[in-house]
Amino acid sequence: MAREPRRFNLTASRYLQAFRQPKGIFAATVIVVLTTAAFLAPAVFPGGYDQQGRDALLPMSPEHLFGTDELGRDILVRSLFGLRTDLTLVYIAAPITMAVGTLLGLIGFVSKTTGTLIQRILDVIVGFPGLVLGICVVLVLGTGFPALLISIVVIGLPTFGRLARAALLSQQQREYVTAARTLGISRSTIVVRHLLPNAVDAIIVQGAVFIVHAVFLEASLSIVGLGIQPPQPSLGALLNTGMRYITQSPTYILGPIIILLLLAFAFSLLTDALNETVNRK
Amino acid sequence: MGLALGCPTHQVAEGTGASAPSSGPLVLAERTESFVLQFLTRKIPSVLFVLVVSSIVAFILPRLAPGDPAVVLAGPDPSPATVEAIRQQLGLNLPLWQQYLDWMGGLLKGDLGQSYVLHRPVGELIAGRLESTLELAALAALIMIAVGLGLGMLGGSPRSRWARSIIDVFNTTFLAVPPFLTGLLLILLLGIVIPLLPVSGEMGFFEDPGISIQFLILPATALALPQAAVVARLLQTSMLQIRSEDFVDLATAKGVSPFRITHKHVLRNSFGNAVVVIGLRIGELLAGAIVVESIFARNGLGSLAVSSVQSRDYLVIQVLIMSAVFIAVVIQLLSEIVLAALDPRIRLGA
Repeated sequence: MAREPRRFNLTASRYLQAFRQPKGIFAATVIVVLTTAAFLAPAVFPGGYDQQGRDALLPMSPEHLFGTDELGRDILVRSLFGLRTDLTLVYIAAPITMAVGTLLGLIGFVSKTTGTLIQRILDVIVGFPGLVLGICVVLVLGTGFPALLISIVVIGLPTFGRLARAALLSQQQREYVTAARTLGISRSTIVVRHLLPNAVDAIIVQGAVFIVHAVFLEASLSIVGLGIQPPQPSLGALLNTGMRYITQSPTYILGPIIILLLLAFAFSLLTDALNETVNRK
Repeated sequence: MGLALGCPTHQVAEGTGASAPSSGPLVLAERTESFVLQFLTRKIPSVLFVLVVSSIVAFILPRLAPGDPAVVLAGPDPSPATVEAIRQQLGLNLPLWQQYLDWMGGLLKGDLGQSYVLHRPVGELIAGRLESTLELAALAALIMIAVGLGLGMLGGSPRSRWARSIIDVFNTTFLAVPPFLTGLLLILLLGIVIPLLPVSGEMGFFEDPGISIQFLILPATALALPQAAVVARLLQTSMLQIRSEDFVDLATAKGVSPFRITHKHVLRNSFGNAVVVIGLRIGELLAGAIVVESIFARNGLGSLAVSSVQSRDYLVIQVLIMSAVFIAVVIQLLSEIVLAALDPRIRLGA
């Protein structure tokens, strides 16, 4: 906790150390492979996710690794396209949430009233269990990608806001901050140069945790039918359809589940690796 | 989610070792009672604030959505006059604040309003679904508490490395896996591969308890295990932390048996944290019911919430959102009271 003020190092080389340990290397490999597979899917399968075959609801086989769905479409292809939807969603949502949340948390140093007000608002958000909040957003915006994006951001804000605020509260009374103030350095400069660096470690680690939460949130909302709508595939939407055929073709949902678990596992390992790197002294 | 537990660690409470304070349960009961009153008067303003804000949110949100329920209700090709008549009848032409006050007034009198879409009182709709969700949530809460506290205590007690690593694997797995995935995996495992339990549908508990339980086990377990892992992890951490306190060393030095140390000293001092986290988790449990009910095809409040969002049934959804927040807040308050009752420093220092 009692860390000396450090220059804001945007080269991120500190965090790259996480990828020097086996855990980090493994996590990075899985994430890179999944991401590449997802985003190259349109190039590799020019037929898109709607190419129908003759045989519906096939079990897993060498020809169709994850089997086929009710219209004879290959579930592996659909899962990859689904993963693409999910990853697009979280890769957009997570940085926004992290940046806005941090800003909201640190704003208390520039204006005390605004800071307190924002904390109260975040408290109200926390009062809503995650999924209920998601439902509220869907209620206003209707189902689909934008609503999911906004739900993820709104649900994530309090976490990052509080982390940043904790860093602010622990640092703002320290001598170096007072010294900087005495030197006439503006409050907003102090926030960027001194307070932000103290919050950034925790925020980055939490970011890796949050990506998993976000993917699961998409899946939860899509499973109940309030997320991504068919025919657009997402991992949750695939599970939603797969559940209807659970007795005829139990392996239908297995493919998307495997991908979800791999993704969650990789990001948990990444969290661990980042955590160790950050706490290494 | 981050656990912002504002509770101090409790080391002093049992600091004097084996001679546990037994100054009579009567004194304690009296103090607790007056404390509860004090505590409530202190807490109620902030609770009311959260409730009022969330009721406004629950009221405004559906109305921000595009679409006019009066047009929907009027059926295909309505004349403007019909739409206007329906709007008048539903009170939709009144200013928003007046609609809100009417709604709140009704709520306080126990009148939850009338569903636009299903043409039935909201209270009746909710009552029809309540049993299913209550059964699910009650069993899930039981499993969560039993498994969470059980594993947490095992993990926090001096045990073989073997036992502890099994508990660690359980915790890490279920901390990472949300209820819907647990549910899907349970369906695949116990419903399809080894067809032991039914995977979808339900049966009222009072119609046939035996069959009802069979339908309940999988969804309740799916709902409970991820939350149980949170409880277990927290209790374990807190027990291990308290075990390293000086007063435990003192008790060991005085020759108190390891069993008694664990139960009387370590466990008792860690329990407060566990109670708080259980209270927080019950809200999540209820939210998780939305997905779990959908996966297991149960007709509870969760599926009512989903269908009323899909059909834009304002009054139903706003009551459901409101009650979810209400229940979460009340349970949190209860757990804080229990916490204070357990910890003399909070109780007496308050």
